[in-house]
Amino acid sequence: MEDFLYFFSFQDPNVLMVVIGISLLSISAAMVGTFTFLDKKALVGDAISHAVLPGVCLAFMFSGNKNPYWIVSGAFFTGALSTYVISWVARYTKLKEDTVIASVLSIFFGVGIVLMTQLQQTGNASLSGLDHFIFGNAISIVREDLWVYGALATCIIVVLLVFYKEFKVMVFNRSFAESIGLPVKRLDFVFNSLMVLAVVTGIQAIGVVLMAALLITPAAAAKFWTDRLSRLLFLAVLFSLISGISGAYISFSLPHMPTGPWVVVVLSIIAFLSFFFSTKKGILTRWVSRRKYQSKIHRDHILKALYQAEEHDKKGLPQKDIVDNFPGKVVKTHRTLRQLKKKGYITNDRELVALTSTGNSEAKRIVRLHRLWELYMTEYMNIAPDHVHESAEKFEHIITPELERQLDKSLNFPKEDPHQSIIPRDQNKP
Amino acid sequence: MSFDQNAFIIILTGSMIAISCGLLGAFLMLRKMAMTGDAISHAVLPGIVIAFLISGSRHGLTMVIGAGLVGLIATACIEYLTQKVKLQSDASIGITFTSLFAIGIILITFLANQIDLDQDCVLYGEIAYVPIDLWITKAGTIMGPRTTYLAVINLVLAIAFVSLFYKELKLSTFDPEFAATIGLSTAGVNYGLMGMVSYTTVSSFEAVGAILVVALLVVPPATAFLWTKNLKKLLTVTAILGVLISFLGYYLAYLLNSSIAGAMASVAGVFFFVSVTLNRHQIPRIKSKMRRLREEMA
Amino acid sequence: MIQHIENPVVEVHDLMVSYGQNPVLWNVDLSLPAGSLVGILGPNGAGKSTLIKAIMGLVEANSGYSKLFDQELNQVRNKVSYVPQRESVDWDFPASALDIVMMGTYHHLGLLKRPGKKEKELAMDCLDKVNMKNFAGRQISELSGGQQQRVFIARALAQQAELYFMDEPFAGVDMSTEKALIELFREMTAEGKTVIVVHHDIYSAGKYFDWLIMLNMHLVASGPTAEVLTEELLTKTYGGKLSTLADLGEIIKKSGFNPLKD
Repeated sequence: MEDFLYFFSFQDPNVLMVVIGISLLSISAAMVGTFTFLDKKALVGDAISHAVLPGVCLAFMFSGNKNPYWIVSGAFFTGALSTYVISWVARYTKLKEDTVIASVLSIFFGVGIVLMTQLQQTGNASLSGLDHFIFGNAISIVREDLWVYGALATCIIVVLLVFYKEFKVMVFNRSFAESIGLPVKRLDFVFNSLMVLAVVTGIQAIGVVLMAALLITPAAAAKFWTDRLSRLLFLAVLFSLISGISGAYISFSLPHMPTGPWVVVVLSIIAFLSFFFSTKKGILTRWVSRRKYQSKIHRDHILKALYQAEEHDKKGLPQKDIVDNFPGKVVKTHRTLRQLKKKGYITNDRELVALTSTGNSEAKRIVRLHRLWELYMTEYMNIAPDHVHESAEKFEHIITPELERQLDKSLNFPKEDPHQSIIPRDQNKP
Repeated sequence: MSFDQNAFIIILTGSMIAISCGLLGAFLMLRKMAMTGDAISHAVLPGIVIAFLISGSRHGLTMVIGAGLVGLIATACIEYLTQKVKLQSDASIGITFTSLFAIGIILITFLANQIDLDQDCVLYGEIAYVPIDLWITKAGTIMGPRTTYLAVINLVLAIAFVSLFYKELKLSTFDPEFAATIGLSTAGVNYGLMGMVSYTTVSSFEAVGAILVVALLVVPPATAFLWTKNLKKLLTVTAILGVLISFLGYYLAYLLNSSIAGAMASVAGVFFFVSVTLNRHQIPRIKSKMRRLREEMA
Repeated sequence: MIQHIENPVVEVHDLMVSYGQNPVLWNVDLSLPAGSLVGILGPNGAGKSTLIKAIMGLVEANSGYSKLFDQELNQVRNKVSYVPQRESVDWDFPASALDIVMMGTYHHLGLLKRPGKKEKELAMDCLDKVNMKNFAGRQISELSGGQQQRVFIARALAQQAELYFMDEPFAGVDMSTEKALIELFREMTAEGKTVIVVHHDIYSAGKYFDWLIMLNMHLVASGPTAEVLTEELLTKTYGGKLSTLADLGEIIKKSGFNPLKD
């Protein structure tokens, strides 16, 4: 707790610096990542992040220390080279893009490992920070690093905001972008550079192996909450910030912990929560609406049974008959009956269940939809009258009032269904 | 530069690993699942750590089963995210492997005192130590390098898998729909292949690390693909490349005093880029374009 | 105009299929006579390929079923052959034309067994039937579109089936090859085999097929060519989708799950 207060009160200028640094890089990575995600280029981000390793090592070799200017230049150089090589190989050979990405990624990384192990063999003490670039360590960020990485991140954010409209058009519809005269090739170049830069800014805090997650995961999680690009960007940035700062905090309180993996774990938790619990497209939401729909079907079936009983001049049905009608669903049927009664659709006296007038008109609606659809199928889809019932059992629950009017109109307000049963209508309505 | 017994053991082990990876990787590549292979190789890490923790050793069945299972779980997770959650496939792959890999690294850091596994090993393995890591029976007989035995078993299983199910792998890779119509379980073949890939990744982990396995899975088949026109030749060339990569990689590492696994990946890279440069006009689209350009010039 | 027959070789009963939440086939109900050359006609997106994919069990039906030889598909797989669309596979795959045709013999071989001399001879015969014997050793990416299509048909012949489903076998094929293939199909039907072909050209359809299925998301017609190739039915097939079906499709798409699946 003390740690927590100390960290989040930002009284330590070092902590403040780390937080500012990681926030800026989270924001820029999430923003760039949103566009790469929409452009379905997520795995290119992975390739770039592995491919900056040789650049970092080369920078160490030339400068002899952890000079951020050298490192950024070296990383940018090999990162950019990898994107160029990927598009070159994919374009000129029959190799498929995923193979090319995986090949380039692992070759560049292998070269990086050769350089890194060679550097380590030389035993230069100032190289001890090198492995921070693999898994990241936000706490190792010093003032000079912050200036460089912070400036780069700010640059990325500014450029993205300036070209927001152009990138938006390009990501959603490339050929349209071309047709309205946007310089798509140049924009692509700018965008690829931004992607490499975003990776480069992240390597010290997050590390090369996991940097891809910062590009992919925030946008993927945000996509489950909204489809609008502006909100998507906002949410992606928010998720990324939360995980960036929590990652920094964890490696602050447990100093031997690398930052990158923690940031990624927090990010992944947010993503999986979004996949399951998003109110829009989450698995749980879909499951709930499916369950609701199934209850509605059950309700509709009970109402229909009662209506058919009325058609045969019965006042209602004994509760026992209704329950027996749906074998294996005893509890569900009892619950549905209670709900129907509460809503005023049925009366349930001395075990005899009967429709009220509201219930009657609701039941009529369902029967009407069933019979209208049966008629539509025989009239418009040439289906034999003895084959239409099953389908109508499904569609009677789906057809909306609007579609009902449309059906009625195209069938010219019919009186009977294909089996010569009356299509019931409410008297007071036309 | 010398060719002594240690060099022989290292090159032999490296070759066997490279061949096992290449044979399976060829099918990954043809199925356009190279990145899934990349994902599996990253994702087995937490499995390796947990199995290590439970069994207390890097060898043995627990390791192979535990970590292999995580590889299969990763495959299933990618499929679940793509099909049920309806996430685009590249993002499914990216999220699955980064999160599992992150968990693996955290576990390693937490358990640093309890298990003999460090981040360097994850990155590039310890094939250089293969000759020293001996398998000693309870009676005290020295049976030879342990990892080499693992590589032999791996190679035998990989060759057995590919040759026994050659027909099924070939058909379901080329035309999965047709394969399904003749009653072949394409999902079964797929999971079999992914299971073998996970097992191979785990088994090679100690020698070449979790990340450089990808270089051996994908790069030799990709290189061979540029030169060959039928599947058997593709597999043969892949295997030959595996041996060459191991041999040249060892001496490159010797020369530069660097990681052998990294050097193997670099040598694979040289083969790859030379092949790409020589074959860069092989696809008809480019061929016809070149022809048109020439005609226009004339 | 949907004609049902006794003892059909293919029977489709109330088949409804959707891709995800997008219904593409509505309540198809038809039966086909054995020994006929059947054409499936309809505009783009009418569900022609989907119909044969559903019959072959490649896409899951939301409701309804289909029967081949009055049996479940699994019991008669040996007697049924399927030719997918040419674009559905990657022709850069490292294999020769002969390799591909040999795949047609796999289901007779069963697990673990390798194709041998007998299978190779059969494959060569089949290549000969489609006039591709000289290309047996050629790598498949080096074949023209029409040649690739013929390799696929040779593979189907190698299956030695009774019933053939072919998805757009004439796509990218030149006129003389198309005529030759139709001739081949006629020979096959003369031997009592049934060939069902997804086709997109109305004009040649009248000449080629004995029986026509017309689809436009729902079944418009199924019957002998002479009886169903009428102006009225063609207008129904090609004159736009039923707006009610399109609207219902929209509702289902918006609902977050597919209410048609049980």
